Amino acid sequence: MDDAANFPVRHRKFSLETKGNKTEIVICSYEDHILVIATQIGAMGTILHARKEEGMSVEPTFSVSVIFGKRDEPMLIATARRLIDHISSFVPSKPLVLSLGLKDHSSETLKEIVAAVIDNRLW
Amino acid sequence: METEYDQVLHSVAQVKIADQINDSGDVNRDEDGVKVSCFTEVFDDVTLQFQIIRLTKQIYVWIGYNSAKFGNLYAAASTRPSNTVSVTSVLGGTSDNTGSGIARRLVMKAGLNIILACNIPKNNPLLEAKAEKMLIRKLIDLGYTMPTPLRAT
Repeated sequence: MDDAANFPVRHRKFSLETKGNKTEIVICSYEDHILVIATQIGAMGTILHARKEEGMSVEPTFSVSVIFGKRDEPMLIATARRLIDHISSFVPSKPLVLSLGLKDHSSETLKEIVAAVIDNRLW
Repeated sequence: METEYDQVLHSVAQVKIADQINDSGDVNRDEDGVKVSCFTEVFDDVTLQFQIIRLTKQIYVWIGYNSAKFGNLYAAASTRPSNTVSVTSVLGGTSDNTGSGIARRLVMKAGLNIILACNIPKNNPLLEAKAEKMLIRKLIDLGYTMPTPLRAT
């Protein structure tokens, strides 16, 4: 598949099992964004956008918001915040588009997803 | 002769037309989950890149024009009572609608909800149309489309 080698967008696909649910994860690295899709329901679910703010202070600040889907689940926002924190320490200028289509929003599941994404990262 | 005729009628009546509501066979096809397809088309001096991620109940598509930028994100779905298709801009693209038409027509063809990311510049309807045509052809090749379109046009 030499097409895959020449394609400008790299992607990685894998799955993990948490609490009896199979989670499919796809990570794509575009020129100016990172896209992470984590789905248990066969759909993209809630889509969040997270980016590091350009600021003057020493401490980095992040802007995380839900752009599509559930807006009342703080754990999803926390997940995006955790991931953009990690991403921005490697590629500071790339915002994150995170899609979470999950059956359960427990912190164990989300932690495992974050760990798996970081393990398989493309940045 | 009548009996033969009756027999033929009987057997024709028993032939079951393949159920067209069973769209894209998502029961037998994608039980094992997500499929990612990437391909590039070059024509004139323009390079269009396509990435199709097929989830069980949705399709995510990225269209890249000469670059790997993410572009504007649109979500499109059919709304239930009348089967018309609604599309909304999710990220970027609020003042130009490049890509929203593509998203809408993809839903009509595929019968699944579509999330489309597209960085085609605005005011380029020919390019949009070309990209859409290639995309639909690829979707048909991959078997992600419904046999009958969502809405008779």
